[in-house]
Amino acid sequence: MSTTVTPVTPGTIDLSGTTQVSMLQLSRVELRKALDTRAGRWFAIAIVGLVLLVEVIYAVTAPDNAKDYGDFLGIAGFVLGYFMPILIIMLVTSEASQRNGLVTFTLEPRRARALVAKLAAGLLLAAGVMVLAAAVAVVGTLLGSLTGGSPVWSVDANLLFNGFVLANVVGVFIGFAIGTLLMNTPAAIVAYFAYSLILPIAVGILSALSSAFEKVAPWIEFNTAQVPLFTGDYTPSGEEWAQIATAGVIWMVIPLVLGTMRLLRIEFK
Amino acid sequence: MITVESLTKTYASFTAVDDVSFVCQPGRVTGFLGPNGAGKTTTMRIMVGLTNPTHGRVTIGGHLYRDIPNPGRHVGVLLDASAQHAGRTGREILGIGASTMGLPTSRVDEMLALVSLSDEEAKRRLRNYSLGMKQRLGIAHALLGDPSVLILDEPANGLDPAGIRWMRGLLKGYADRGGTVLLSSHLLNEVELIADEMILIGRGAIVARGDKESLRAGEQHKVTNVTSLDNTLLAKALDAQGYAVTAAGGGLRVEAAPVDVGRVAADNTIVLSDLRSADGGLEDLFLALTSDTQRDDTPAGAQP
Repeated sequence: MSTTVTPVTPGTIDLSGTTQVSMLQLSRVELRKALDTRAGRWFAIAIVGLVLLVEVIYAVTAPDNAKDYGDFLGIAGFVLGYFMPILIIMLVTSEASQRNGLVTFTLEPRRARALVAKLAAGLLLAAGVMVLAAAVAVVGTLLGSLTGGSPVWSVDANLLFNGFVLANVVGVFIGFAIGTLLMNTPAAIVAYFAYSLILPIAVGILSALSSAFEKVAPWIEFNTAQVPLFTGDYTPSGEEWAQIATAGVIWMVIPLVLGTMRLLRIEFK
Repeated sequence: MITVESLTKTYASFTAVDDVSFVCQPGRVTGFLGPNGAGKTTTMRIMVGLTNPTHGRVTIGGHLYRDIPNPGRHVGVLLDASAQHAGRTGREILGIGASTMGLPTSRVDEMLALVSLSDEEAKRRLRNYSLGMKQRLGIAHALLGDPSVLILDEPANGLDPAGIRWMRGLLKGYADRGGTVLLSSHLLNEVELIADEMILIGRGAIVARGDKESLRAGEQHKVTNVTSLDNTLLAKALDAQGYAVTAAGGGLRVEAAPVDVGRVAADNTIVLSDLRSADGGLEDLFLALTSDTQRDDTPAGAQP
């Protein structure tokens, strides 16, 4: 409030001295927003805590010949993959549910920039949680060796990339798609559980009843299609990649496009 | 300077803003006054690009809002003090704002001091704030980027009388340094205290505009409340002159201008102890101008 306003021409604002906020800065702010509320921070901590808990249980109960670092990493990736989308959903939907989108999109009226910043923040957050989970898997493996295992520390590159990184990045985009489509925190979380829990069960039942449907299922159901990423040799075959691609278009790409279009247009109240 | 040019916003069959044009000058506080649902908020939302107009446009300092890089550094906006994450502390809300605009954290402390939010209050989460505290925080947020234009929607809502006086001082000082201020309210006396210029809006259209004096000039005082040492005699005298007189409280209510009532009293050497216009000034003008746009009719029994 110390500035005296001296316009060049009366009534006009000189913009020559102002530059856009950088994408880096916007992404940093979005990352901060993901973790500066109790809900966001504790959910992130709870995910890592849950990974730790599952690792401990596995270390105690698993057979000694299945206590390699790769086993623990796979489990960490599976637990993470389940909850990562919710973290992203909260990051996206709080703009509408908590109404701070009014401020976010007033300070950055070019909404596409704010959206990209949010996605970048989501991916960064996911990367951070993945690193933590990989560290927790180290703890799990050490615990496994204490309880009788003689772990192999080397990790199959396919497991690391397909089962851990790729599956979780897909989770980020799924969360982003559901979040932008529904723009309401509780509704989006319910929808996510319907997608990740109820849908595969329904598909499983239908597949058991009809062998024709069983053949079609991995092409149209994304959870089923992704199974080869974190099972077997962690390397989907050509056909399995094609299934991931087609199911991914249906469940990830199309919702993501529609959700983005919606976010760019809706009136934040 | 804010320039609104024939702005129209329609939703399906409902017209929220109907061909509104006005200008907010630098160095002046412009009050945007109208009953609830008159279109004030919609107009302000269009100004900052949150809502797209059906027709017309708004420029701020000669630019469309969405063309201003880092707009928070030029235009301070408070649309709804409650529209913040309820789980964030006041300080964190300002911190995020400052960080988005690329400002140092020291700016947060300056703004907290400016709006008199204590350290302890700044550490509380927004859900524990009173409406008055939220408004102070919202004003601090709007001022973060040291903007030259302020757009405030109902900023006095929830402030106590001392808070309203504080805000008046703040905004007057801001305008005196050359800033442009647009603030909305549905309460006339709030705006009357703070604004240099007023724009009255009802059902989406502007019904009157001008400074206080020019708006008042249109008033006609036709009803007078009068009390004298001999009300019975005065009533007779007024009646003889053809003015309708009714008893009102300890005095009389006369359908005549104060000057005429005073003349009758003087002619009859009646001592007056109180003489004033019964028209409520700008308040009545406001109600009259927006009467056909009001939702509620005063029930017959409640009329004076």
